[in-house]
Amino acid sequence: MNIDYSQEMPTVAGRLTLAQIEELVAKPMDTKPDKKFYIALSISGTLLMIGATMLAISLYYGTGMWGNNQPVGWAFPIVNFVFWVGIGHAGTLISAILFLLRQKWRTGIARFAEAMTIFAVICAGIFPVIHTGRPWLAGYLLPYPNQHGLWVNFTSPLLWDVFAVSTYLTVSFVFWYVGLIPDFATMRDRSSSKIKKTIYSTFSLGWRHSNRHWTHYEKAYMLLAGFATPLVLSVHTIVSFDFAVSILPGWHATIFPPYFVAGAIFSGFAMVVTVLVFVRKIFDLQHIITIDHLEKMNKIILATGMMVGYAYAMEFFIAWYSGNPVESFVFINRAFGPYAWAYWIMVSCNVIFPQFFWFRKIRRSIPIMMVIVIFVNVGMWFERFVITVTSLSRDFLPSSWAYYKPTLVDGGILLGSFGLFFTLVILFTKALPVVSISEIKAVADGAQPTHHGGEHHE
Amino acid sequence: MSDIKSDNTQNMDSDQLEPNYWRSFEALYNDPTVIEAKGHEFKEGVTDDFSATGMSNLSRRKFLALLGASAAIAGTACTDYRDKGEIVPYNIKPEEITVGKPNFYASTCTACANACGILIKTREGRPIKVDGNPDHPVNKGKICAKGQANILNLYDPERLKTPLIGRNSSFNEVSWKDADSDIINALASANGKEIAIVTNPITSPTTSKVIEDFKSKYPATKVYSYSLFNDDIKNSAWQKTFGSGKYPLIKWNEAKVIVALESDFLGVDGNKIENSRLFAEGRDVETKSFNRLYCIDSTLTITGNNSDYRLRLRPEAQIEFVMSLMNELSSKGALNLSVNTSGYSLSGFATKYNLNKKVLDQLVKDLASNKGKAIVDAGISLSENVHVAVNLLNEALGNFTMFRSDSVVNIFAENSSVQEIDSLIQKINDGNVAAVIHFDCNPVYHLAQDFGYKKALSKAGLVVTLSERENETTFVSKYVLPINHNFESWGDAKTRTGVISLQQPVIAPLNSTRQKESILLTWINGKSDSFNETLYHEYLMKNWEVSIYQTLNSKLDFKRFWFGALHDGIVLTNDIPSISRSFNNAVTGLLSANVSEKGFAVIIKESYNVADGSFSHNGWMQELPHPVSKISWDNYAAVSEKTCKDLGVENFDMIEIKIGDRKLSLPVFMQAGTADNVVVIESGFGRQNSGTVANEVGFNSNLLMSKNSNLSQWIYSDATITKTGDSYKLASSQEHHAFDDPKVQDLHKSRHIIQEATVAAYVKNPHVIKEKHHEDQPSVYDPHPYNGLKWGMAIDLNKCTGCGDCVVACNVENNIPVVGKDQVLVSREMQWLRIDRYYSGTPEDPQVSMQPMLCQHCDQAPCENVCPVVATNHSPDGLNQMVYNRCVGTRYCSNNCPFKVRRFNFFNFRDHFRDSFQENPILALMHNPEVTVRSRGVMEKCTFCVQRISEGRADATHENRKLKGSDITTACQDSCGSNAIYFGDINDKESEFYKYRNHELGYYVLEELNVKPNVTYIAKLRNIHSEEV
Repeated sequence: MNIDYSQEMPTVAGRLTLAQIEELVAKPMDTKPDKKFYIALSISGTLLMIGATMLAISLYYGTGMWGNNQPVGWAFPIVNFVFWVGIGHAGTLISAILFLLRQKWRTGIARFAEAMTIFAVICAGIFPVIHTGRPWLAGYLLPYPNQHGLWVNFTSPLLWDVFAVSTYLTVSFVFWYVGLIPDFATMRDRSSSKIKKTIYSTFSLGWRHSNRHWTHYEKAYMLLAGFATPLVLSVHTIVSFDFAVSILPGWHATIFPPYFVAGAIFSGFAMVVTVLVFVRKIFDLQHIITIDHLEKMNKIILATGMMVGYAYAMEFFIAWYSGNPVESFVFINRAFGPYAWAYWIMVSCNVIFPQFFWFRKIRRSIPIMMVIVIFVNVGMWFERFVITVTSLSRDFLPSSWAYYKPTLVDGGILLGSFGLFFTLVILFTKALPVVSISEIKAVADGAQPTHHGGEHHE
Repeated sequence: MSDIKSDNTQNMDSDQLEPNYWRSFEALYNDPTVIEAKGHEFKEGVTDDFSATGMSNLSRRKFLALLGASAAIAGTACTDYRDKGEIVPYNIKPEEITVGKPNFYASTCTACANACGILIKTREGRPIKVDGNPDHPVNKGKICAKGQANILNLYDPERLKTPLIGRNSSFNEVSWKDADSDIINALASANGKEIAIVTNPITSPTTSKVIEDFKSKYPATKVYSYSLFNDDIKNSAWQKTFGSGKYPLIKWNEAKVIVALESDFLGVDGNKIENSRLFAEGRDVETKSFNRLYCIDSTLTITGNNSDYRLRLRPEAQIEFVMSLMNELSSKGALNLSVNTSGYSLSGFATKYNLNKKVLDQLVKDLASNKGKAIVDAGISLSENVHVAVNLLNEALGNFTMFRSDSVVNIFAENSSVQEIDSLIQKINDGNVAAVIHFDCNPVYHLAQDFGYKKALSKAGLVVTLSERENETTFVSKYVLPINHNFESWGDAKTRTGVISLQQPVIAPLNSTRQKESILLTWINGKSDSFNETLYHEYLMKNWEVSIYQTLNSKLDFKRFWFGALHDGIVLTNDIPSISRSFNNAVTGLLSANVSEKGFAVIIKESYNVADGSFSHNGWMQELPHPVSKISWDNYAAVSEKTCKDLGVENFDMIEIKIGDRKLSLPVFMQAGTADNVVVIESGFGRQNSGTVANEVGFNSNLLMSKNSNLSQWIYSDATITKTGDSYKLASSQEHHAFDDPKVQDLHKSRHIIQEATVAAYVKNPHVIKEKHHEDQPSVYDPHPYNGLKWGMAIDLNKCTGCGDCVVACNVENNIPVVGKDQVLVSREMQWLRIDRYYSGTPEDPQVSMQPMLCQHCDQAPCENVCPVVATNHSPDGLNQMVYNRCVGTRYCSNNCPFKVRRFNFFNFRDHFRDSFQENPILALMHNPEVTVRSRGVMEKCTFCVQRISEGRADATHENRKLKGSDITTACQDSCGSNAIYFGDINDKESEFYKYRNHELGYYVLEELNVKPNVTYIAKLRNIHSEEV
């Protein structure tokens, strides 16, 4: 195939007019939900209810309903927490970093990725609270002045987590909302229903598409992008500190921050691809979310997957190179001990399968891509499982070793978190434009008049 | 401007003290209207609308009153207030009780037949803790796990509360009066038919007198005594060898070489408290004098764990082994034997049983060169000929010097023989027994099935069982009479010559129970209304006054003597044991080693934790991990790895053991160090009708026992084993790692968790352990200077036998709940202190290392800086503290603890275990009021008994002196029979503790982590013929 690298590929395929774009994106909000929507919602809702029931059971009887035991103090809830925070990384990366790097192709997927970030962080945020023995005392983790003279412990990474995750959620939400304002206005203008109009009007904050609005908006968006960018790195760095700051072999590693960030982007992109493949099909957005978009994301998956693979190898190397026998044991135990099954699931899903993305055909084949990204999702969940559980289950004193086995309640809560995530995603697709109308118009053919009439590829 | 200024100055002059504040120019220039208005309190017009009648007639007073009342009503209405019953303060304070201060009463423990002296700690009238009586010459201030856990028996919610009458297996309550009169009638109308009293061995002189009185009142009475585990064979062998007397006590502390043949003297044989103490005295790092322990036995025991050399041997081969050993010794010229042993050869024996010849050579040399300083001890379960041979060997080696002459075991009545019990059953079956009285015993469970005891009982005229709780025997009784617990009872005990121990109640009976002797006394009186609370108390005093006091030649009058004796808990008497030995040569005729050795050998052993079943209802004992296998809540068939392979079974597979027509199915556990083709099963499990905790836990090994056994009632050969195909989960507190997995093999040694040396190496180089030490590493944080008192612990691994008594002592002291088998299976046991057991070597001949593991109270504790809410922090005297109220339960501290000694309340375990069994209000009485009962979701761990430190500090302040490290002892330290635990002030250079804290053999576990623990372990020295461990 002959590709002309001197020209950018069109971001929007199919030469849609601006009105067509708007029509296309706004269609789900203009029409009544169909049967498929309700089926999808009831499936995700069921998962959510399973999770809620299991959570209620654990709150009523205690954390003992889970598989956690004496050496393995952290298990499924923390694994889920790190997993979901990781998923949440793609959104900010796509919307903030790629925006600053002026990657125009991001516009088609940014909105959706941002929304997924927020939903994923919501899913993640539940776990640190519910995993504690007494969740009703979670307020103790906030540094509020009180008569007892009690203060929080700023040397504890868990406390850093509280701030990191809440900051990330707030900034992501603001960033997402600011991006939504012009679209709220568009929706307000399109809508004839009074209720819808009121809602959209409220959220559009009086946007009139005026030139001044746009000037301010662009500046604010740029600033927020700049503000959000360090968070992409900081949040997962701090999450990795939960492990790296401890003295547990298998956790206590300086490679953790970059390794976790790469892993987070890796899993986040995989999740975005997983969901977008369905969304673009269901909502007829193939022209806006093109196969080129997916291919680009797959390239990032390949790149970050190899970073993760490098980290796996480096952990082994350092374990050997350090000469620390306890450290070496942990890694040998990971690969060949009782949790070897989890380790090899992790390695094959995260390192081996993404290698297929070296082939352009595979990068652009939706069914194969689908299989690989689901493997990546599974693999990244197992990565957190391997780090958390295998290290804890066999640490310093062999006398206290124990094998951890999750219970049905553990599984139920994990399912429930997926239920919550997809419920939010499904509701989002019907309530808000899944693609930024204003931004996509800006990158459509002919939207940016140039001196040669906007026709810059012929 | 000048005007203003001057005006201002004038004003200042006229009123020097008050500055002139002005609000307007009018005010500044003294406008008359303003001056006028200033005179009024309110601005004009403001008060125009005011009318007193128009106001609410709610006065301020009334408003405040209503506010207060409604707040009070709201407050009380919203609380879950329940009438908690009468809470009555001491209007007149009892003389002996100071609220908040414990009282200690000396008494006697009746948890087993050793009857150790105890001190019972009571708080506001509630017994909450048991310690040994320091004045008692046998147990010297120590008490075993069962004695500690006895407190739970007192408060057991399932104790029988009222007399019961049974009809067709259903029981109804009956009044004492009705029960007594019915029984008295039955006894009176026995008409020459026998009245059988079945009892466990009686240790009390006064109880045996009560029984004598009973016999004289009802002459048809016959007493049958039995115990599931006893020294009868050992004693009868002694009698046969030496003509008279009992097997004497051994000077374990003086013996240089100890050879234990199937003997578990540190575990269940004899008085383990005394044995452990004496044994540990012979392994003292201070004097560098060490005994050498050889164990030749069928499976690992506590004694085997502590051995320097161990050989595994089928129990039937022991006789051949002793004969071969004698032959070898005599062929070396070390012995003069009166028996011909030429048919035996030690090297041939070693080949036959695949024993390590080097070890045998060492054994022969040691015995030959330590004549008079060695002792060979055969276990109680071995057959008579082994004991005779051992007696012969000890006699020939001149080892009688190792027998104690100051005291011997005192026995009031011999156990009934098999023939006697058989004849009882025969008489019952013939209808010649009017009444069977079970005097606090459980023969239906204990007696071998082929006696047919249970079946026979249905033919007895009247079956009365005196018992604390339901069991197999009460279930088939007509009358079940509830008796007082140990701590509610009067009594005395004489288990040794030279000392009588007194028992006094420390709490009034919690239920409508009676002292078991009082019940007999009521029947002796023949009137059902003759009972009163002081019946036995008076009888006991009278008996002492008449018989015991007279023999003592005390200068005190009886009352003073009696109260003094009660205070001390013991009376030393001057009965000197007569130990005379005259070797009876005829006995050599018993020595033949032609024992058939077919099939599998089955050994039934007394359980370390639940004994013969007398503690199987006790959750603390059920949950205490087995000292060797670390399995709790079950018994199992311990077999060797090779035998497992031969049988094609794996760990936890069910097997059926068949001896003759007796069968038992139970799970297999591959126990390292077990002899091939031997199955070892512990007793006391598989209980039925015995309450919530005991029922259906484990498997009833008594079903395999028979009244006719050729070796002994505990050892059977020629068993067959078949695999049933089922499997069963055993709960263990430690993972079982494969021996041949190079990844995990000997990790405890390579990680320096266990550091060991040999005596030879230590004598040569005292710094053999210290040389491996890591240098102090710098810390990111400024280390806190501990200049004052700083707490620390030292544990001497040379003395620790790994028995687990300290674990139970800690449970009692610190209100630790029972979690149950399901929770042990998912490794959530709550014990703050655990005994880690490590194997090295091969599964056939493992070397065992034990290590008590508890919170190390690290100076740089990794748990502390990861807690987000500072719920765990450090005290200025070096304690790692846990603030339960602040704990959110993130479990991060536990994850970051390299010793994994933190325990998390995954549930409200009191609610979770056996349908809220432990939530019963009566169990709340048992709790130590100085220790918080932890709620769900909270982390906890060893506190170094901080409540004792606080109490000690308060006392010191009260007495206006400085607190010293030696003022405080921890609960584990108090209970340790071998005195392996030292506690005190690290900075007190004068203290005994300081010596151990800074001992040249001392090391920290995981020293390289630089967490700076405050628990020092004194490295174990193995007394082997080599400098390498």
